[in-house]
Amino acid sequence: MKRYDLIIVGAGPSGLSAAVEAAKRGLKTVVFDENEKPGGQLFKQIHKFFGSKEHKAKIRGFVIGEQLLKEADEAGVEVVLNATVIGLYQDKEVVVRIGEAVHHYKGDAVIIATGASENMVTFEGWTLPGVIGAGAAQTMMNLHGVKPGNKVLMLGSGNVGLVVSFQLLQCGCEVVALVDAAPKVGGYGVHAAKVARTGVPFYLSHTIVKAEGEECVTGVTIAEVDSHFRFIPGTEKHFDVDTICLAVGLSPMSQLLKMAGCEMEDNPKRGGQVPVCDEYGRTSLAGVFVAGDVSGIEEASSAMIEGRMAGIAAAEYLGYMDKEEMDRNLADLDQALDGLRQGMFAPKNRGKDIETTDEGIPVSKNLLKHGFVADEEIERFPGVTHAKGIHPVMECTQNIPCNPCQDACPKHCIRIGSNITALPAVEEGSECVGCGMCVASCSGQAIFLVDETYEEGYASITIPYEFLPLPVVGEKGDALGRDGSRVCEAQIIGVKSIPAFDKTNLLTMKVPAEYAMRARFYKKG
Amino acid sequence: MNQINDRSRDIGAFVPAPDDDMIICRCEEITKGEIRKAVHDGMFTLTEIRRYLRTGMGLCQGQTCAKLVKGIVARELNISPAQLEPATSRVPMRPIEMHVLANEGKEDE
Repeated sequence: MKRYDLIIVGAGPSGLSAAVEAAKRGLKTVVFDENEKPGGQLFKQIHKFFGSKEHKAKIRGFVIGEQLLKEADEAGVEVVLNATVIGLYQDKEVVVRIGEAVHHYKGDAVIIATGASENMVTFEGWTLPGVIGAGAAQTMMNLHGVKPGNKVLMLGSGNVGLVVSFQLLQCGCEVVALVDAAPKVGGYGVHAAKVARTGVPFYLSHTIVKAEGEECVTGVTIAEVDSHFRFIPGTEKHFDVDTICLAVGLSPMSQLLKMAGCEMEDNPKRGGQVPVCDEYGRTSLAGVFVAGDVSGIEEASSAMIEGRMAGIAAAEYLGYMDKEEMDRNLADLDQALDGLRQGMFAPKNRGKDIETTDEGIPVSKNLLKHGFVADEEIERFPGVTHAKGIHPVMECTQNIPCNPCQDACPKHCIRIGSNITALPAVEEGSECVGCGMCVASCSGQAIFLVDETYEEGYASITIPYEFLPLPVVGEKGDALGRDGSRVCEAQIIGVKSIPAFDKTNLLTMKVPAEYAMRARFYKKG
Repeated sequence: MNQINDRSRDIGAFVPAPDDDMIICRCEEITKGEIRKAVHDGMFTLTEIRRYLRTGMGLCQGQTCAKLVKGIVARELNISPAQLEPATSRVPMRPIEMHVLANEGKEDE
């Protein structure tokens, strides 16, 4: 039986991060993954990540994946792909299917980083071809370059549903509606807003009645639900669609841990069956650690930190560092993880109704109900100001852990402060030069450059734009409002794409001055 | 004693529902009605349901339906899904052909 100091199951963000930390400290480390490519979900994430510099904010997920793989390679981690772990036995014996044979390995320590699987919901016709998970849609689009369908209905307004809806739009699909049985949008408001402004209608307190079609999906009926999630008769709405995408949560894939005999618990706050573990991933079995979604559903940025913690804890367990060194190493990670777990969407705030921001500003009700901040609500947020000449307008209205805009501005126009969940504010007396770095740096695509006095009677608005083909200068079309409806005619006066923007193109459009604070998207006429 | 193991508990009679023919376990083609009936046949745990109906025993190994089955059984027993012990996890965790399972890999070193 081949022996390793550390065996890691799962080469996703947490597993690879754990491997890097352990291998750097001299542990002979192997990572098994059942997929043909490493990186887990990271390589399906084409959007820019949130957080601060230490969390690799404003870097696109797949790039973080590439960096992590390089780091693992340099640290001497052995990654075995197409290797399916089929069992975890007593004394940390790991049984792996590789090719046409079964191999046995012994790990002095084991880290389980198997991630999560998608939840499903049932409704009439849910087994028809064309009903797919949001993760499947991402895999098709971003790994294999396959368009999942032409007309799509998305069920689920959490970050997965919102992010994947946007990706479907980028891929050229029409998203006919974004539906959620909950009364409020579950994910980040900025993710919702960038979908809503393209014209996707949000139906909160609605769910799917049935998928229509004989051989495959040809349509869908949704209806409103009451507070007990019962359909309200007479509220049915029909859409012609060929694809129904389900983004209704994730469940930890924790079966290996249960098999190994770890103490388990059913914890709805963590997504279901999870091992009982401490903050560094130590389970009830000595030498068996967990990291990432398998120990509780969060997101990739925190999974990577958890992975590093588990890798360090495993190194200490095996005597590759003393406790003092471990504590020193973990302190920084503790802080980084704590930073991500702040704000309105922090795990501790799950299920709570938050009425005001940390700054004491009432949150936008319209954002939670319809996916966009209403025109009459937007002015109360500190990022939204008026000034002579060009200036940034930051429509960031929820306390989320993210601050790249603050460092992006070479003129220091944007202030968030040391608390990364604070709303960005315009620094008084600062002078915007209109470079657009803040617009491109905003992972939520919530920053615009507005010049209310661009020309006699006209304003210019610069928007982040991640769709192809790019409009050309001189072209005329429609300016859309935050709700995605047409507000006025717009003419494109600038298209900027430079490497520093990392593929977030900046479109500048000219609109009648009275629409300066309303026009937020451009659609070719 | 755990309440859900109390076999004498009266959960009422099986009442047919309009969505009883909806497939829940896609791999083994088990319907919602079959699962509900199984509870009324006395299968009060997920392990029993699995042995009785083969839910979650197909290709995906319950990846899709485990949570759905749990919800249906819990509702039939009128308890919270969190009170139901998940079915036993055992080797092989993923479907594997018998000839591969029986093929012990050669020692690498």
